[in-house]
Amino acid sequence: MGYALRRLGFYLLAAFASITLNFLVPRLMPGDPASAMFARFQGQMQPEAMTALRASFGLDAGSTFQQYLAYLKHVFTGDLGRSIAYYPTPVTDVIGTGLAWTLVLTGVAVILSFALGTFLGTLAAWRRGGLLDSMFPPVLAFIGAFPYFWLAMFALYLFGFVLGWFPLRHAYSYDMTPGPTFGFFLDAVHHAVLPAATIVVATVGGWMLGMRNNMIGILGSDYITMARAKGLSQKRVMWRYAARNALLPSITSFGMALGFVLSGSLLSEIIFSYPGMGYLLVQAVRGQDYPLMQGLFLIITLSVLFANWLVDITIAWLDPRTRANE
Amino acid sequence: MPRTARILLARGALDLPPRRTELERALKAWLVALAATSTGLLSAGCAIERPEPPAGVLSVSIEQTSAWVRNFNPLLPAGAGRWPTRNGIYEPLQIYNGVTHRWVPWLGSEATWSDDLRTLRVSVRRGVRWSDGAPFTADDVVFTFELLRKHKVFDSNDVWSFLESVRTGDGQTVEMRLSRVFVPGMDSLLQQPIVPRHIWEKIADPMTFTNPEPVGTGPFTEVRVFRNQVYELGKNPYYWQAGKPAVDGLRFLAFPSNDQANMALIEGAVDWSANFVPAIDRTFVARDPKDNHYWSPLFGSTVFLYANTARAPFGDVRIRKALSRAIDRDKLVQVAMYGYTRPADATGLSDAYADLRDAEAGAADWMRYDTAAANALLDEAGALRGPDGMRRTAEGSPLRIEIQVVSGWSDWVRGGQVIASALREVGVDAKLRLYDMSAWIDHLQRGDFDMAIAWSGEGPTPYRFYRWLMSPETVTPLGQVAASNWHRFGDARAGELLQAFERTSDPAEQKRLMHDVERRFVELVPAIPLFPGPLWGAYRTRRFEGFPNADNPYAKLTPNAAPEALLVLVELRPKVK
Repeated sequence: MGYALRRLGFYLLAAFASITLNFLVPRLMPGDPASAMFARFQGQMQPEAMTALRASFGLDAGSTFQQYLAYLKHVFTGDLGRSIAYYPTPVTDVIGTGLAWTLVLTGVAVILSFALGTFLGTLAAWRRGGLLDSMFPPVLAFIGAFPYFWLAMFALYLFGFVLGWFPLRHAYSYDMTPGPTFGFFLDAVHHAVLPAATIVVATVGGWMLGMRNNMIGILGSDYITMARAKGLSQKRVMWRYAARNALLPSITSFGMALGFVLSGSLLSEIIFSYPGMGYLLVQAVRGQDYPLMQGLFLIITLSVLFANWLVDITIAWLDPRTRANE
Repeated sequence: MPRTARILLARGALDLPPRRTELERALKAWLVALAATSTGLLSAGCAIERPEPPAGVLSVSIEQTSAWVRNFNPLLPAGAGRWPTRNGIYEPLQIYNGVTHRWVPWLGSEATWSDDLRTLRVSVRRGVRWSDGAPFTADDVVFTFELLRKHKVFDSNDVWSFLESVRTGDGQTVEMRLSRVFVPGMDSLLQQPIVPRHIWEKIADPMTFTNPEPVGTGPFTEVRVFRNQVYELGKNPYYWQAGKPAVDGLRFLAFPSNDQANMALIEGAVDWSANFVPAIDRTFVARDPKDNHYWSPLFGSTVFLYANTARAPFGDVRIRKALSRAIDRDKLVQVAMYGYTRPADATGLSDAYADLRDAEAGAADWMRYDTAAANALLDEAGALRGPDGMRRTAEGSPLRIEIQVVSGWSDWVRGGQVIASALREVGVDAKLRLYDMSAWIDHLQRGDFDMAIAWSGEGPTPYRFYRWLMSPETVTPLGQVAASNWHRFGDARAGELLQAFERTSDPAEQKRLMHDVERRFVELVPAIPLFPGPLWGAYRTRRFEGFPNADNPYAKLTPNAAPEALLVLVELRPKVK
């Protein structure tokens, strides 16, 4: 418990540092939101509008330090301000259009990919040189080496456009009202299959290879020989003795991957017209939308820190050695 | 079994592969699960939605986003509200039709200048109702302009810089009194979207009001559906044009990029689109030559090669002319724009100003591709070739030019490559530099560039276009943010002509003055015109008809022209099968 609390203290400090960076980094970019919005209209907006834009975004209000203090106050009261690119909609509403979809799509894809990759990696290492071991890693590495953009486009073209098995776009049908109904759930799952499957296919190879290599190292150690010598069942040795230890390094990367789930997956969102955080992030950067950028970065950093804290605790639970020097 | 035997047996197991059955079982379970899910999904796949919207609902693709944000506030700067805000829900007093070059009376049935040109009188159309049934009156117009005065943010065109008052006497006419004679101000005054007083006077903070349930005078005002990936508007039950609109509703799908929008257009999920479709004849028209059409007339903003005249040697008109003559514009429009446009003429005016273009001025020789002439002009300006064949400035330093273009804007990037290699042909060491858009616009506005490819100003008359290009009033010192006139060029004579243009409402006089401005432009070459921009527009006539096209050019086809899209929206009708 003390260990978990001490880690928590460290993470609070890290959170404060990143909140400050969130404020500074967007302001180091060249240009300003009014110019960016003006530029989007390519001559259709009259030059006079720039002054009006500047005034409306409150860009000239106060020194940077005053803005920072106001920003800190807002962060702690949960007020993320109004988006500039989507003015005057509050940042929380803008993020709300994509948060849940990203959480589900990218979250499920990352978990599936990790579970599947780890499972396959364990089996491959256990039966080294077998069919699974000699076929899967090179094939998956080959697929994973394709640019994701290409892979997703190809999947969309083949399974969506040509074969018509899956919808071409969006997270649910136009005529479907989102709600807790079974019909909507099926529809949403149907729409999520292609984007999720492409993410899984593109990333599963990494998890599998990682797990396989860890397993091979572990399988050579004495305690595995001992376990076998004791006459334990193969299954028990494979999962409870070998896989549990081989999992430790993977858990750390899994925690990182989970933390970054909320940054969305830009390319799948664009290719499958899926709502999500990745696109918002790019829009925010393009439009120099400081409040939206800050809001998104805040959510991402906090989730990364939270995921890391969870990993710390999980590792401490899985691996008694980390607790030894208490 | 003796203990040793058990150990031996266990040891023996180590050298054997794990039992195959176990692995097989695991794999089999996995495959079964996979097969089960895929059959489930396949059966669900049969229920795929039809791409076409319901009968009578027109699907429009114009704004690009991954998720819609609900905002129908027409007073915020363009782009904040969703597209129908200014093209369907709220209407202006009059609409300038850029194709026919006429003002179309809308909520204001008549607009006339007083003899001293200080007062614009607008008669308000009788019998118009807001979509909640309340009558539309001159009070609403006055109230709207008062909102603009109170909230600087709403005054995008800065009308209160030349307005003195907006009043109504009898509730049927509005008198707009100007603080100085400024005829081009009419464009902004007449095209201002008007909001209902009885709704907006109750809004505490109109600046942060997203107007989720809009009440307007336009043809489409009822928000039927608003979700993050789709929204639909229905007809205004009280629309003032009898029998219109014939279209039952508008549908907008969220597409994050051109590719997704184009796929939807090709597939039939979109009826009317403003996106650029690559190789449109093959990818779109050929799929259904009877019903798939496009019309992209050259009414868009002219694309220029800007030379920073505040930096040596671009202050010298001979250098600017020479650089212009070095460029093969026929090749440029083929490579950069796939032939969708033509080379600009020397006035730089697009077809939107065909009525005011002086053909003689437009034929100036410095627009013609001629490397010999370009070389001669450069020599004359003192930029002689060094021993390496590359030119030096009159001061003796190498003539190096960086052409700034936005990375990822592939048409301009290709254009920039053509230009850079053309300039190297005449001994100028020109290089293309790609920047992210925000950095690029920042450099342009602060004058931190040698040369750049960029758009130009637009408006009903070429007044704003030339004011942007050569009026001393728009010149800003280097280092300060300039919204227009990035190349920092001002000519006193042109300024006078433009000011004279501000003070006349006589079409013949306007034409004469504008021809003088054009001749001044051609003489001074403030910037190098490249090509007029096409206004992309594509449509399908499978479900709807009445779109403008080259044979029936009653308005611009592209939905990307507010508020002119209103002219099209009221003409479209479902096809009778």
